[in-house]
Amino acid sequence: MKWTRTAGIYLVLGLGAAFTLAPFLLSILTAFKTREQFAGQSVLAWPDPFTVDNIVRVLAGPAEFGRAVLVTLLAAVLILIGQLVCSILAAYAFARVDFPGRQVLFWVYLSTLMIPPVVLIIPLYLMMTQAGLRNSFWSLVLPFAFASPYAVFLLREYFRGIPQELIDAARLDGANTLDVLVEIVVPLSKPIIATLTLITIVSHWNSFMWPLVVTTGPQWRVVTVATASLQSQFNGNWTLVMAATTLALVPLLVLFLVFQRQFVRSITISGFK
Amino acid sequence: MPKRSTVIAASALAAVLVIAGAVTALTVGGQASAAKTKVTVRLWDDQVAKAYEASFAAFEKKNPDIDVTVTVIPWADYWTKLRTDVAGKNVDDVFWVDGGDYPAYADAGALLNIDKALGADAAAAWSPAVVKQYTRDGVLWGVPQLADPGIAVYYNADLLAEAGLTPADVADLRWDPTGAADTLLPTLKKLTKDTNGTTADSPGFDGTSLAQYGYNAGYDLQAMLLNYVASGGATFQDGEEYSFASPKGTAAFQYLVDLINTAHVAPSAADTNTNGDFSRDQFLQGKMALFQSGVYNLANVNDGASFPWGVTRLPSGPAGAISGVDGIVAAGSTSSAHPAETKRVLEWLGSARGSSYIGANGSASPAVTAAQADYTAYWAARKVDIKAFYDVLENGSAPAITGGGWPAADNAMRPLLQEVFLGRTPVAEGVKAAQDAANAAVAK
Amino acid sequence: MASNRRRRHPGIRRRNTVTGYALLAPSLFGVVCFMLLPVLVVVWLSFQSWDLIGPIGFVGLDNYRSVLSDGVFGNSLLVTILFVALVVPIQTLIGLGAASLLTRDLPGSAWFRTIYVLPWICAPLALGVVWKWILAPTDGALNTLVGARIEWLSDPALALPTVAAVVIWTNVGYVTLFFMAGLLNIPEQILEAARIDGAGPVALFWQIKIPLLRPTMFFVLVTTVISAFQVFDQVYALTQGGPAHTTDVVAARIYYEAFSAFDLGRAAVMAVVLLVVLVVITLAQQLYFRRRVTYEMD
Repeated sequence: MKWTRTAGIYLVLGLGAAFTLAPFLLSILTAFKTREQFAGQSVLAWPDPFTVDNIVRVLAGPAEFGRAVLVTLLAAVLILIGQLVCSILAAYAFARVDFPGRQVLFWVYLSTLMIPPVVLIIPLYLMMTQAGLRNSFWSLVLPFAFASPYAVFLLREYFRGIPQELIDAARLDGANTLDVLVEIVVPLSKPIIATLTLITIVSHWNSFMWPLVVTTGPQWRVVTVATASLQSQFNGNWTLVMAATTLALVPLLVLFLVFQRQFVRSITISGFK
Repeated sequence: MPKRSTVIAASALAAVLVIAGAVTALTVGGQASAAKTKVTVRLWDDQVAKAYEASFAAFEKKNPDIDVTVTVIPWADYWTKLRTDVAGKNVDDVFWVDGGDYPAYADAGALLNIDKALGADAAAAWSPAVVKQYTRDGVLWGVPQLADPGIAVYYNADLLAEAGLTPADVADLRWDPTGAADTLLPTLKKLTKDTNGTTADSPGFDGTSLAQYGYNAGYDLQAMLLNYVASGGATFQDGEEYSFASPKGTAAFQYLVDLINTAHVAPSAADTNTNGDFSRDQFLQGKMALFQSGVYNLANVNDGASFPWGVTRLPSGPAGAISGVDGIVAAGSTSSAHPAETKRVLEWLGSARGSSYIGANGSASPAVTAAQADYTAYWAARKVDIKAFYDVLENGSAPAITGGGWPAADNAMRPLLQEVFLGRTPVAEGVKAAQDAANAAVAK
Repeated sequence: MASNRRRRHPGIRRRNTVTGYALLAPSLFGVVCFMLLPVLVVVWLSFQSWDLIGPIGFVGLDNYRSVLSDGVFGNSLLVTILFVALVVPIQTLIGLGAASLLTRDLPGSAWFRTIYVLPWICAPLALGVVWKWILAPTDGALNTLVGARIEWLSDPALALPTVAAVVIWTNVGYVTLFFMAGLLNIPEQILEAARIDGAGPVALFWQIKIPLLRPTMFFVLVTTVISAFQVFDQVYALTQGGPAHTTDVVAARIYYEAFSAFDLGRAAVMAVVLLVVLVVITLAQQLYFRRRVTYEMD
């Protein structure tokens, strides 16, 4: 009885995993095919001959993929630091400080989530041009570095679960708001901050439209734009694109594996509820 | 022990400092020398970009005061980016435009008047068809760079032989909406097979599951529609108004759609509507006998085909074998910060020397007449005869799309025409609706 | 708690106001400059006629009239609502199921977790292309497997469910992550107490775990509803709104109006309408969840 249930769970999990992985398999297979084989055979065919030429060409070719990875990484980390600091402060205010206008402001923050990002591109672009920042590193970072309504929302929901007694106790010991945040709220919120770190990095690693529009040329090209630059009008160059996609996934996968340990461990350690 | 807040602040500060340092390093790496005037050129074709690099190296030797930078923006994003950059006055000094998109930029005052900048005589050196395509309100708006000759048909010689045909048998095919003089369809039937190996002209042919296609009839403006409408004796546009739903135009659409959905000698529109590469891939995989396309696929076919192939004239219709032609120009930006240098770069691009690199590396057919021989020579050296693309132009040619509203018109008619090719809307009704939608979009 | 607040000293109130706004200042700067200001520009654009390169001209309510009267936008709203109705419940259920299987401390759970989250951390546009190969009518992987020719993406009846399935595939990892965190946060004592009271695993799940997951559920539903309303990448990669506008979701329509037809006024109107719709839906969600809280407290 017990082992049949365990087997059933593994079966379900395994099927789900197979279904999840199959498309990745196809993209990885394509990354190791020759251009001739890809053009001449079904997409499902096994790589024959097996080649790492696409990977080499992506890394060493004119797309300057290595540089793009560096630019993307720097931008994403800077955005992450800015967003974490600003959002933690704001979320604490929304969750724990009683000030006039709190509800209204929170709804203003939340409603900015509901604007489709694609329409903000034109106004933001014109602003960046006015500021003389177009095609600079800062144009990639600045519009996102201060706060993300999403992060504020997520953190606020989490902070509201922190027992008020812990905060009151610290207050009695003479801690000011900043002390409370750094000594109590942030340590207790490690799992959610880890989650947020992953979400922020992932979404800026994969963002395409804004970097595409605001930068031109190889200098500040990010990973997604570098990948798109591998394609031309009459040639999709899919073997190269899949090699680039596979490569771009590696840093995120590493991040997730690091994060995952943190995620599980810190939840078991804290458990303040 | 330091306070937790100190540790956090210190590590965040350290991270920011490291990033600032790295960004500075990346910025310095991209700085150009200050003594030269920097002229930037933007285009979407990475092969021509290579020719440009070589061409500008020669240019810079003769013009040591100018530094030309070539930027490639991939085709898929080119128009989005060009619009926003022109809107923000951040566009490159010289940039490529195509026939459907340039009028909006010309009307908005974003393009240099080439007649004024380079002199009215300059046009004599360039392909007349391209000059005509980019003349609007009596003014030429770009320096012709590429002049795609006509459309032709790539054939797979092995598949022809299998069906008992020779290249000569497909050299003078005719299509006829009435069926009376039609030789295209009977030939295609011999060249189409279902998964049982039965050809389309045999009893028991199952048109719903094809293993080998005769032809790439489908919703492809450049390779199919413009040519069929013109060869059928109709016009795609009358001035700037869309006019393809005329009786003759509708008959041409009907003929193409029947090839797909009645005769089943071409792939389903479900395969080709949203995948422009489907037919070329099938041809390269040896599963399509005749593939109608332009010189823009020469390099792909030459690299990808593992069978003997050749190029022959496109099928002739009731009004003859008439192909569309298309050109690309390099336009000068009116918001350039250094108009004099920009003019010198445009002059170079329009000269035989400057343009020779395009033909010489086989990337495209140059629009500077004196440079065209290099292109033919390049392919002749690879034993590819590209005469068929040029010979068809002797019958006259169909003009490319023109008018300021092309992006909106394309947007409006595409979903309607896709339904027509899928066989879900009756041809006459769908084509008329598409024409009306396109004209309404232009009028807005 | 609420009455406690009212009794507070006016000095504390003032100090709270200062603290509150001081904490908000940095993020408020970002929200005002990079979100509210652009949004105001979008609202202003909705009354203008602009193709990005020509002159801008005031046209009053013309854009609103044009968008609300032609069937295209109405169709897009309808398609989007249908899409949200397909995606959100299914991905929430799958995510909940996966999370409850993955929090059983079975060996290998970490591996499954990593696998499930993969689609969500990968760039959606590239994956869209892979899905296009899988779903291709001729020689596509799925049809080869099924052994029939099914036109997944060009049959008007199948296109939207197919796109929805790809989006669900992408998002399940994200949803699972949150439900796992929520489930792991439920104190063991509560579950133990319920077990002693004789609750079976099914009752435990529906009557104890689900109600305790409410904060997580609220957050997940609000964010996934918003993101489903704004779905763009997969539609752009798979169908581009076709066939016959059956997958023409609002965000894709806005993209085409702005960057393909270059009609910024119409695109702005659509964005404004979408904003209003989403604010109403989110308010309703909040009211629902808040009522449920008080109901259970009584």
